[in-house]
Amino acid sequence: MEILKAAMAGTLESSDAQVTVEPGNQDIELSIESSVINQFGRQIRTAVLETLDRLGVTAAKVTVVDKGALDCTLKARVECAVYRANGITENFPWGGDIR
Amino acid sequence: MSDYHFSEIRPGDRRAVREMETLLKAEGISKDGNLEFSVGLYDEDYQLVATGSAFANTLRCLAVDSGHRGEGLMGQIVSYLVDWQFRRGYSDLFLYTKTSTAHFFTDLGFYEVARGGDKVVFLENRKNGFARYLARLQAETEASGLKGSRIGAVVMNANPFTLGHQYLLETAAADCDILHLFMVSEDASLVPFAVREQLVRAGSAHLGNIVYHYTDSYLISSATFPSYFLKDSETVIRSQAALDTELFTKIAQKLGVTVRYVGEEPFSEVTNIYNEVMAERLSAAEIALRVTPRKAQDGKAISASQVRQAIHDGNLEVLRGLVPETTYSYFASDESRPVREKIQQAVEVIHY
Repeated sequence: MEILKAAMAGTLESSDAQVTVEPGNQDIELSIESSVINQFGRQIRTAVLETLDRLGVTAAKVTVVDKGALDCTLKARVECAVYRANGITENFPWGGDIR
Repeated sequence: MSDYHFSEIRPGDRRAVREMETLLKAEGISKDGNLEFSVGLYDEDYQLVATGSAFANTLRCLAVDSGHRGEGLMGQIVSYLVDWQFRRGYSDLFLYTKTSTAHFFTDLGFYEVARGGDKVVFLENRKNGFARYLARLQAETEASGLKGSRIGAVVMNANPFTLGHQYLLETAAADCDILHLFMVSEDASLVPFAVREQLVRAGSAHLGNIVYHYTDSYLISSATFPSYFLKDSETVIRSQAALDTELFTKIAQKLGVTVRYVGEEPFSEVTNIYNEVMAERLSAAEIALRVTPRKAQDGKAISASQVRQAIHDGNLEVLRGLVPETTYSYFASDESRPVREKIQQAVEVIHY
């Protein structure tokens, strides 16, 4: 999927993450802010990049402000932000790209 | 965990607005005159426990009741407002807060840009946003190929470009080796930025030592200086002018600017206060402020307000005497019709 416009998903509440996606140039430019960056930075990064890869996003600026979200939460927030960036807010491919 | 719910605070809802003002006051914040959207977080007894507001691309007037600290309420407020801003298309966001509370926001994805005095901190939601802006200014300077030791700067809105602007640029350009010209690039003025830029460039093309820059959100913008565009009280203008000057100082230091040129301000109250604040603060940073007397036409100083008035009245003869040929031919052309119509329909064309 392409990132057509800037979009955001998630909140800054505890155990959640706020994910922002914006149109990018050629690759994924990922910036992560987290209170547990030392413990889980790499894991957050992997979870976000894997999700983007599954959705076929190859060029985007992605910002994650993490508040201790679990991987499943992170994935859900990334998926939601990417779909919002495409103006898709219903009829999601459950079990397909989103699983 | 107790239940909180969000509710928009509408300007017409006097009771809610009063509650919001009380909460802000208790936290040492005065409510801004210009807000586009305010939200409150209420507890189960309908008491306001946290609030935040938005104006243009900024979040401001943020406060949490002191009895409800440590519950992550500010995170909820900021989330709500950021989401609202994104939905209406703003993604580069700025935030104001008191110095003492700045650290709360650095945990919410905001990064410090500058401090205006010892009271206000200005943050943005981009890591290195300001650093990138500075890098771009340097790249633009290198690309110009200009060299020299005496480096000056001018910031202008040029709404639109007059003989006065041209005179200021000529005076400044003659006085230094490199002149950095910052054009207010935010579209908050009657003349759209694309036109303002075109007229500034056309009217200064004969000067060979100018480097042109955009101000983005970092100088005289709705983020740093909303009261430049919308009327507000003198205290508010002063604190915003101080912040704007602080940002200018950082830019000046990066580019090696040692002198800033401004036109003398006999008409506009806000620009006058701005010049006063700059004079005080720039000297502390060892940047000289040169106030150039206004160019006069028939014994009266030229101002862009007069020019807009002439366009408003459709008086091309008056206009001709106030602007360079390049600006005149634009406003006399068919191409400028939409801009002229916009000025003619405006109720207030004089800068306060």
